[in-house]
Amino acid sequence: MMVPLRRIHEPKPSLWSKIWQIHWVFVLLLTATASVGFAMLYSAANGSLDPWADRQMVRFVVGIGLLVAVAVTDIRIWFRYAYVIYFVAFVLLVGVEIMGDIGMGARRWLDVGIISLQPSEVMKIAIALSLARYFHCRSPEEVGRLAWLIPPVLMILAPVGLVLRQPDLGTAVMLMAVGVTVLFLAGVKIWKFVVFGGLGLGAVPLAWNFLHDYQKKRVLTFINPENDPLGSGYHIIQSQIALGSGGIAGKGFLQGTQSHLSFLPEMQTDFIFTMLAEEFGMIGGVVLLSLYALLFIYGYAISMRSRSQFGRLLGLGMTTTFFLYVFINIAMVMGLIPVVGIPLPLVSYGGTAMLSLLFGLGLVMCVYVHRDVAFGRRGLSEDF
Amino acid sequence: MTLERRNNPFDSDMARRVRLDGIRKAALDTGRNRLLVTGVMFVLAFAVISGRLIDITILEQGSEPRVAQSEGVTGSTAARADIVDRNGMVLATSLPTASLYADPFDVLDAAEAAAKLNRLFPELAPEGLVERLTSKSHFVWIKRNLTPDQQYEVNRLGIPGLYFQRGERRTYPHGRLAAHVLGLTDVDGRGIAGVEKSMDRVLRAGEAVRLSIDLRVQSLFEEELAKGIRDFSAIGGAGVIMDVRSGELVAMVSLPDFDPNHPATMVADTGFNRTTKGVYEMGSTFKLFTAAMALDSGKVGLEGGYDATHPIQVSRFTITDYHGKRRWLSVREILVYSSNIGAAKMALDVGTERQKDYLKRLGLLEAAAVEVPEIASPLVPAQWREINTMTVAFGHGIAVSPIQMTAGVAALVNGGFRFEPTVLMHEPSLMPAGTRVLSEKTSQRMRALMRLVVVAGTGKNADVPGYLVGGKTGTAEKQVNGRYQGNKLFSSFVGAFPIDAPRYVILAALDEPKPNAQSMGYATGGWVAAPVVSRVVARMAPLVGIEPVTEQREREAMAPVQAVYRVEGARAAR
Repeated sequence: MMVPLRRIHEPKPSLWSKIWQIHWVFVLLLTATASVGFAMLYSAANGSLDPWADRQMVRFVVGIGLLVAVAVTDIRIWFRYAYVIYFVAFVLLVGVEIMGDIGMGARRWLDVGIISLQPSEVMKIAIALSLARYFHCRSPEEVGRLAWLIPPVLMILAPVGLVLRQPDLGTAVMLMAVGVTVLFLAGVKIWKFVVFGGLGLGAVPLAWNFLHDYQKKRVLTFINPENDPLGSGYHIIQSQIALGSGGIAGKGFLQGTQSHLSFLPEMQTDFIFTMLAEEFGMIGGVVLLSLYALLFIYGYAISMRSRSQFGRLLGLGMTTTFFLYVFINIAMVMGLIPVVGIPLPLVSYGGTAMLSLLFGLGLVMCVYVHRDVAFGRRGLSEDF
Repeated sequence: MTLERRNNPFDSDMARRVRLDGIRKAALDTGRNRLLVTGVMFVLAFAVISGRLIDITILEQGSEPRVAQSEGVTGSTAARADIVDRNGMVLATSLPTASLYADPFDVLDAAEAAAKLNRLFPELAPEGLVERLTSKSHFVWIKRNLTPDQQYEVNRLGIPGLYFQRGERRTYPHGRLAAHVLGLTDVDGRGIAGVEKSMDRVLRAGEAVRLSIDLRVQSLFEEELAKGIRDFSAIGGAGVIMDVRSGELVAMVSLPDFDPNHPATMVADTGFNRTTKGVYEMGSTFKLFTAAMALDSGKVGLEGGYDATHPIQVSRFTITDYHGKRRWLSVREILVYSSNIGAAKMALDVGTERQKDYLKRLGLLEAAAVEVPEIASPLVPAQWREINTMTVAFGHGIAVSPIQMTAGVAALVNGGFRFEPTVLMHEPSLMPAGTRVLSEKTSQRMRALMRLVVVAGTGKNADVPGYLVGGKTGTAEKQVNGRYQGNKLFSSFVGAFPIDAPRYVILAALDEPKPNAQSMGYATGGWVAAPVVSRVVARMAPLVGIEPVTEQREREAMAPVQAVYRVEGARAAR
């Protein structure tokens, strides 16, 4: 169909050389961060590997395998299937919408036979992939035109709307933020963000009516947690007490009273940072933050090093997702933003989140491994 | 166009190329700037959370622990103040105690010390003691709250490195009595439930708290409610008595209860305060509100009524009557026979918006503001459709706490004023002004109707000779997993006395009572809860100085509403 204009005959790199190309320092940092998680889960179970730490370790190992597999896959394959992946993720989201109605309870999970997965997790990756491909294929002039902006905006808003209906405020915010960041990095004019932002703000009162009561309550509780100290405010207040009680050096491993005396329910998931800060104090918190910071810096640097716009945007999109996870979770436990169910990546207990995150970071690694693979605006017509 | 662009590198049109290059260069610049901006925002966001982390861990140190550090560990001398009842009876007080701790660095021979301590306190295992006495710390607890005897014995052991910390222990002289109101403190003397928690700051500052609870009334209510629970094998019960002129709660009983002197007795079930934390579909007692709003809004008079011949069919719901008369019923009869159909029609007449408005003003749509932390919000219909208006009319599809119910009924009988329920005693000079909810006239009619229910309706078992009790029975099937369970009832009676000039509203409720021979096989509010109210009123009236009235006086007192008595067999029924 398309006539290749030039072919770069480079020797196809072997699998081993590709694996060797993976940024192993990055993987080492990941492991260090995850190990902090293992330690905290060990502590959360009152000094026992069971029931959380051991499973989390297994998941991490599986996740690293996944990361390697994603990383060595040719980046052009990800490019080629970007829209397909997005489409599948979208269909799954719609599936949740339909199937979820039948099975009462939580609508976020979709049972696909062997495993049950959260389509919104898949969507976080798919949205970065498809937006990266979209803007890779646009010329600078096209990016500047309003008409060309309609598909990506729809690409963002459609899943955001579905996720909001589930309802999962935290994920919706994340999808939105990642999408906007990629748009921003792709060079969409600032005034367009201002206009869209203005429209969005105008819709806030409207959206408020669509929020569930429990979500409204969360926002209200955020504004004044003391209002409802036993109800929704409980987490935030207890979390801050626990954080504060850690002091500089903390109470010591396995010694966090607030967490161990069950003042903090579910501390193995979203509120695990609180436990860390209680047991290891400010120092522990700063060390973990530094690990994250290093990971972001590497992710950022890797993305910029990529020769293709696709790689650049994909890497930055995934790094941003990762960053938002960390930022939202930590800001939440410290009472800076409302409680939204976002886990602390690599540290919180949870299988889907861990696997999808390592998959996403696998894409960052993939960008790194294939940093010198340049492909044109129609990418696939060449080199394949 | 595509073709053109594909040929772009070989384009001979120089001008076009220059222009495109310009765009491309600008795009590159933009790209670089955008990256920079994004990076800076990452850094800023991270700086914010890092800053907050330092702020919260070092500068702020959390709010509660700081209080504990300054007052708990250094052993302040200001004792936690007492909690007393309305007559000054002590309900909670603090006793000075000594707690034993060790500085392991001062302990010379840990093994020997452990052995000696173990002889004195057999419950402390020597291994654990050795471990604690050799830990790298300057402070380890050995045992809290020693008796003076034990303190003397420890001193006699002469072990270096052992010290006492002055402390205090909270005791509750009356044990289980009013446990849910009082709550309890943790081992560090911080309130963790009840008034101990809500008034923690005041108590800690050494200022005694005087409750509105009357210990004598509380005690006899607990006794009678416990008897009701025993008689009908209920799983629990709730009882509330409120002063209708101030909102003060004279008794607040929730069974099963716990002994705050032994915190281990406070488990999920016993710790649960059914009066404030439990919300229940109240059933027919809600018809009082429906009647009040219909009368107050002038939709119907006492002589007016509604056709209750046929059940009401709304989509898949059918509203029927238990004691169906299958005819037109007057407002009086709707209450006396407790007709669901009549109540539903009455509510329709009032209208959904006005119904909501009245219920809101009666305090039934939001959590009561009583001073215990264990408060639940009522469950109200998310969307208030016509069917909700009808079911709410007879107390279904809406769940409120007994405390809300009591405060609501108080407003019906006290002349139409709503007072916020409180467990704290008001200064006599600072009596609150209620907010008007209903007219004086409506209130007067409601009193007459409530008396009528006791004289001639389902509430006969609540009557006490000489004391004019008026009220309404309620029996609701409990929902389990969204399904009504015919054999699980929540049966209650809410009443006021003396009904000619009400002083108190009293509510008694039994959770899942079982019918027996004594109740003729019924487990309804009129059979299981009304007798409790009757016994409580009979015993408390003399205590609170309400004199019994003769039959002559009773007739006189009720003369203004005598007209209302004209119901078939009203007198005969007595």
